[in-house]
Amino acid sequence: MTSISQTGRRQEWRRILDRIMKVLVILAVVIAVIPLVLVVWDVVSQGLPAITLNFFTHNPPSPCSTGQIASGSSYCWGGILNGIEGSFLMVGMATLIAVPVGVGAGIYFSEWPESRLSFLSSFTNDVLAEFPTITIGLFIFVLIVETTRTFSAVAGATSLAIIMLPIVARTTEESLKLVPTTLREASMALGIPRWKTIFRIVISTGRSGLATGILLAIARAAGETAPLVVTAGYLNFPPTGLFQPTASIPYIIYNFGTGGDYANWTTTAWGAALALVVFMLILNLSVKLFIGRRFAGVRAEI
Amino acid sequence: MPRLMDMGLDQLNSLLLDMATLSQQAVSASIDAYSRGSKGTEVRQMSNRLHALHRQVSDLSVEMIARYQPVASDLRFLKACMEISYGFFRYGRYALDITSVLEMFGDLGNCDKKFVVDTAKKTQEMIRLSLEAFAKRDLEMARNIPKMDDVVDESYRKNLRSTIQGKGGDIKCALSATLILRYLERIADHASYIAESVEYIATGIEPKLD
Amino acid sequence: MTEPRSLGGVQPKFETKGLKAGFRSTWVLNGIDLKIPPNKVTAVMGPSGCGKTTFVRCLNRLHELTPGAVVEGEALLDGEDIYDRRVDPVAVRRRIGMVFQKPNPFPTMSIYHNVVAGLTLNGERDKKKLDHAVEHSLRGAYLWDEVKDKLTNSGASLSGGQQQRLCIARALAVEPEVLLMDEPCSALDPTATAKIEELLTQLKRDYTIIIVTHNLQQASRVSDYTAFFYLGKLVEFDETTTLFENPREELTERYITGKFG
Repeated sequence: MTSISQTGRRQEWRRILDRIMKVLVILAVVIAVIPLVLVVWDVVSQGLPAITLNFFTHNPPSPCSTGQIASGSSYCWGGILNGIEGSFLMVGMATLIAVPVGVGAGIYFSEWPESRLSFLSSFTNDVLAEFPTITIGLFIFVLIVETTRTFSAVAGATSLAIIMLPIVARTTEESLKLVPTTLREASMALGIPRWKTIFRIVISTGRSGLATGILLAIARAAGETAPLVVTAGYLNFPPTGLFQPTASIPYIIYNFGTGGDYANWTTTAWGAALALVVFMLILNLSVKLFIGRRFAGVRAEI
Repeated sequence: MPRLMDMGLDQLNSLLLDMATLSQQAVSASIDAYSRGSKGTEVRQMSNRLHALHRQVSDLSVEMIARYQPVASDLRFLKACMEISYGFFRYGRYALDITSVLEMFGDLGNCDKKFVVDTAKKTQEMIRLSLEAFAKRDLEMARNIPKMDDVVDESYRKNLRSTIQGKGGDIKCALSATLILRYLERIADHASYIAESVEYIATGIEPKLD
Repeated sequence: MTEPRSLGGVQPKFETKGLKAGFRSTWVLNGIDLKIPPNKVTAVMGPSGCGKTTFVRCLNRLHELTPGAVVEGEALLDGEDIYDRRVDPVAVRRRIGMVFQKPNPFPTMSIYHNVVAGLTLNGERDKKKLDHAVEHSLRGAYLWDEVKDKLTNSGASLSGGQQQRLCIARALAVEPEVLLMDEPCSALDPTATAKIEELLTQLKRDYTIIIVTHNLQQASRVSDYTAFFYLGKLVEFDETTTLFENPREELTERYITGKFG
């Protein structure tokens, strides 16, 4: 039996090892956080100068040379009004399609898990969630854009809906599965029919997860670029019709960020990027604050 | 696998068996003292010991009921334990009572002790059977004992009747014989009760009251 | 299976005939013939896996909700088979209340709404009726005095014992005739357990109560009749005092004296 003093050397070595591991882990965190910090720093520093009230009420400017910009001509300044309205329109329409269908599917996966249809669809759903979004965009391009011979908000919204759908379905399914079976049984035992049990008890209990899923799906859709490039196209003005090309904020970033070396275009793009990032931030924070605090009791129960 | 309360049950069982042999010895010693005319002083100590053992059995039974909440045969056994140990305690007590008769009456050498000694033999047989029925949980044996009680009862009453009619002879002899027969009759009754308890442990049925 | 003497001539509240239940290919219950007397507490006990919970869940047609569940035989409530094809299971469950092992109040509802959930979710809107039902049921569950000033608090804000009484109140609010209880005290401390056991002795005046328990002492304290199940079969059914003092079957004797296993 070794005395305490004899283990001293082993103890020293263990302590050193512990400290090394701790340092390595902290280093990993720092490395992971650096890109995020750099990106945010860039977006904020580059985009902030563009943010004025006009930024949200005007359409994007035409390209200007440095000289034209320096002259302060109003011709060179603009905003992202078309993108804001376009994104709102398309994300809004996509949400209206994806949420009922996605929640419905999620309910089916959760409440009837034993059926073969449930199993197959759930699996398909998971695959769709990981699909490269440009492929979805291409699919809609062929299906809608080519047949209607125009880029359109409808096409854009449809592609966004397809992207949102699996996210909503999956989070709905998982949130509802977290609701303990005993609650369903208690409800059924009271003589409450099954569909009411699902809608009034199960969904009510899992509503925080559902809401979170929907908001996250919206955040995802708001940031998608590639599919919109091939379905919605672009318009320098707010949406003119459901079957007309429609602007979106990500497209503006893409188009004005890479479309030529015009200073005012670059600033516009950074401004759009900042707006988008802030929008995402607000969305995510509200998910945490609003849902978290209001339903804190629910979380603790589950 | 032994249960928690098995240890206590075993302890109770051995206590009862100890009481059984001791009480048997006490009664035999007292009858011996009567027939031989000796004092039977050792009986007092036996009786006291039986009283202490009865208390012990009682305490242990109650403790087991409180701690283990037994049911069915265990519960019946514990209830019966307390009744049976009381019976053995009474054997010892009546043995003591017999020797106190001898103390009070002094020399009984001239008395005809045959009737009493015969009755005593029957009683001792009942004691022996009751012990064995308990030790072996023998239902057959237990059921036979109450019949023997009737015989002893009859002996007691016969002697009482003849004494009342004045055929008892010397008053000292008659009175001592009556008293001792009375105690023998009580011992026989207790043997019956013990037999009933044995039957209760096995069947859970208490025999009808007469 | 001989009947307890005291039940001769009494119309049973619940009677099962050849009730079998199981999952896919395995039977958990192998033909149960049992008569549950009205307005009494009947305890159903047995070792783990003996089918007692499954049996009780068949009585309110909850068992069939599990995927793969199968049920055969008859269960007669006041003489009518609840498994008859024409019978609506939802209607059956309104006549039979159930309280579960772990208290399960609806977490998103207040105490008030929890109690009347069975009424409001079935269309009852009359505030007066609901208020009355809340007070009546909570009183019936011995919980009114403790919660009457905080009816709007969340159902989950109560202690374990209170939650279970809330669940009892919730079951009572629907005015069932039978109350099924699946080990209702196993998640509670002794004080809370004692309160609920007291409650049961009062409730049986108005309801027929069937309680599943693995706790022998609880069965002997609380019940009037006890049914002993083993490996999916009904071994013995008798008055509790008789069964616990002098059981007829040796299997019962061995189980209750702890000589099993």
